[in-house]
Amino acid sequence: MDKLIDDEMLVAQFQAGRQNAFDELMKRYKSKIFSYLLRSVRNYEDAEDITIEVFFKAYRALEGWQPKAKFSTWLYKIASNLAIDYHRAKARHPVYALDDAEIPEVHLVATDLHSDPERQLEEKERGLIIREAVDQLSPKQKAVFMLSRYEGMQLKEVAETLDMAEGTVKIHLHRAVKRLQTLLRPLWENNEI
Amino acid sequence: MPKCKKSEGQAIDYASKLLPPEEEEPFEQHLKNCQDCSEAVASYTAVFDLTDKAQAELAVPEVALKNIEMNVYKRLAATQEQTLFSRIRTYFASVGSPFGWYKTAAVSSIAIALIAAAVLIGKPFQSEDTLRLTETQSADARIEQYRQQGIQRNLEEALITQHLRNDAWETESQLNRMKEQAQGTNWTQIADKHLESLQSGNSTLQ
Ligand SMILES: [Zn+2]
Repeated sequence: MDKLIDDEMLVAQFQAGRQNAFDELMKRYKSKIFSYLLRSVRNYEDAEDITIEVFFKAYRALEGWQPKAKFSTWLYKIASNLAIDYHRAKARHPVYALDDAEIPEVHLVATDLHSDPERQLEEKERGLIIREAVDQLSPKQKAVFMLSRYEGMQLKEVAETLDMAEGTVKIHLHRAVKRLQTLLRPLWENNEI
Repeated sequence: MPKCKKSEGQAIDYASKLLPPEEEEPFEQHLKNCQDCSEAVASYTAVFDLTDKAQAELAVPEVALKNIEMNVYKRLAATQEQTLFSRIRTYFASVGSPFGWYKTAAVSSIAIALIAAAVLIGKPFQSEDTLRLTETQSADARIEQYRQQGIQRNLEEALITQHLRNDAWETESQLNRMKEQAQGTNWTQIADKHLESLQSGNSTLQ
């Protein structure tokens, strides 16, 4: 299909009865949404499930969708809300976290490195520690940080996606970066970079 | 001495390239003379280097993406809402044998029951070929296919319960569930036949 057809045009085609337009929309966004969710939930299975849920919800809501914002913003909004729900549910039922394939990294916080500077960390472990630090942000800080840093969104788009004022987005972003600075400082102070 | 005010918000924005273009040049000038800010920018940049690298490791494997569409349509097919059903236009387009995968003798008696049902009702099964997904199929057709597969699977389960576990009560509730799912199709007649034979105490279809 012609890449020049924009998303909103495909939505219009879908609404006019050409259902395969939805396939093209999935093809365009499944990788982005999946990786956004993977960064957020840090678990392949859950990221896959939520990605399916995002498109499932999108399909069912698309008929009545009004192009007030970009289609991609709307899709990310669905994904962000599901990710935030996921984190809240997980916080309420921490026992489920034991099933998480990446749970052992909880024990590897950056401060451990500080107390043991001799320790040589594998690249992989370092990655886990850093992602664990990002996980310690509040769900909203995390969403703002991810969308602006890794989904290439302008703050205005992040604001639309998360239903926040642009000023609020900036506050969350600043807090997120400050928190990461505190959490990760031991990594570069020990010349671990 | 308190830290320079700009070492938080502005330094973060500068390190993350979010500073408005007109503020960039003045801030760079400020950096030359402010140790707080240049240290802050260095440390935020280190944060971004670390997180960017760690996030890049989380690449989505192609294989994980392959089945997303299929699973979305399966998810859609599993919901029994009227809005969805009203969109379905394709019914029982072609006929064939779906039993190639049966291997054991025990299960093949169920296959016989299914074939018997098909003969009685008029072969509502689709062949595996037509059940296979193609890029060109419409979403409607695919949803319908998954729905049919779901109905078929439920019928198989009901028959397995009946013949292998001999649990009439569970078979009946499975058949009723299948019948509900099959509303609007001639699969409901198959369910009725099986329910009838179940209630009369013998499996006439076998
Ligand atoms: Zn300064």
